[in-house]
Amino acid sequence: MSIRKKSPWILHYNCGSCNGCDIEILACTGPKYDVERFGIINKGNPKQADILVVTGPVTKRTRARLLRLYMQMPEPKVVVAVGACACTGGVFRHMYNVENGVDRYIPVDVYVPGCAARPENILKGIALALEIWEKKTKDTIEIPTVIKKEYEKIVAKMLMHGQVVDRRKIIYDLVSKYIQRKLETPKCD
Amino acid sequence: MAWILKTIAFLSPIIGGFIYGFERIVRARMQNRQGPPLLQPFYDFVKLLQKRPIQVHSFHSMMGIAFFFATWFALSAFLCGPNILVGLFLHILAMAFFIIGGFSVLSPYSVMGSLREIVHLMAVEPLLILLAVGLFLVTGTWSVEEMFKYPGIPLVYLPLVFIAFVLAIPAILKKSPFDISEAHQEIIGGPEVDYSGFFYEAIYTAKWIEYVFVFAIVFLFTGANWWLGLALSLIVFIFVNALDNSTCRTTFHQMIKFAWFFLLPLAALNIFVLALWRYVL
Repeated sequence: MSIRKKSPWILHYNCGSCNGCDIEILACTGPKYDVERFGIINKGNPKQADILVVTGPVTKRTRARLLRLYMQMPEPKVVVAVGACACTGGVFRHMYNVENGVDRYIPVDVYVPGCAARPENILKGIALALEIWEKKTKDTIEIPTVIKKEYEKIVAKMLMHGQVVDRRKIIYDLVSKYIQRKLETPKCD
Repeated sequence: MAWILKTIAFLSPIIGGFIYGFERIVRARMQNRQGPPLLQPFYDFVKLLQKRPIQVHSFHSMMGIAFFFATWFALSAFLCGPNILVGLFLHILAMAFFIIGGFSVLSPYSVMGSLREIVHLMAVEPLLILLAVGLFLVTGTWSVEEMFKYPGIPLVYLPLVFIAFVLAIPAILKKSPFDISEAHQEIIGGPEVDYSGFFYEAIYTAKWIEYVFVFAIVFLFTGANWWLGLALSLIVFIFVNALDNSTCRTTFHQMIKFAWFFLLPLAALNIFVLALWRYVL
């Protein structure tokens, strides 16, 4: 067991959840389940966080913020989707204002099912996420799912022309363009 | 004697790390939780080294590192230097690096936190100067090394100054009720919000050094009686943590009012009476 595994810091983001899963996540930090004994702190700051815990189906008003938070987290990072809504969209699937789960926008490492997910399940999910986190390094390049096709097209084009590929810069440009486009559109497009 | 102080100054990040780890356990036990292991701050230290730092700009990162070294230097000057005031003023300078770093980025949380950090300095630093004056009146020297050789107990002559200092510790260590500059629920850490990876590590470690700084001042109140000093700092430690757990955050108006209209007059009264007794009567 490496030392790094002993201090994961969590960033918790609610993209339109009903607060059921959020209360269960907060219950994990209470006296009964006490995640601080594993060194886990709920940091509100993406720049110092390691694990992104997302709840809720991604609504159209939160998707740009979700991407922005994900891009602000430094590598190595993992994403845990907590609850049925975050995994697939749950009871809100295919509604007009919902994007059917987190993995349409960012790559998810662990899915924790349940409505609401139980604290034991969340702890197990975070333990699984830590094993994945241990294999990643600070040079890992994570591509948000929503720009993956565009990214691959651009990289293939640049490689064909024999240009030097700065992968992080391409991802950054694509995501900032995407966020700008989505924030400019009227609400509930 | 001098070599003990030099060793403490040199090893202060490690000693402060242990104090912080112990504090996290004590705080967890007060909340009926088990709490992290004692070495948890050092695990965090190793983890932060393995993260990719995201720099806003190089000046901001440099101010983070300057804050760490300046705090360490201030503590060393405080413990080994010729004058207690030099240590206190260098401590203000170290905070100035932190504040300038916070102002240099566009994040509103960072700028707001830096403004509040200045309020902290305004509230606390006059009290620290009065404390140095009081210790001078009792021990007759400005040097910390000589103060640790004083055979009597300065606490007997300076009870009100000590009470004022203990009530100001939450403002120095950024704990509730006076944690307005790094209010974790409203401005997410204040000036430290834009540091990440290696550069956050510098800020994180500098905070451990502040613990050594505060408890060194508590030790000064017992002179050469080191065992008494240990007992006193343990009592202060538990009191500060109980206060941290049981109170909510004040506004900065309330903090300034409390510091200037209650703590400062309290300390000034003690020093006034002491000076009258020493030099007039």
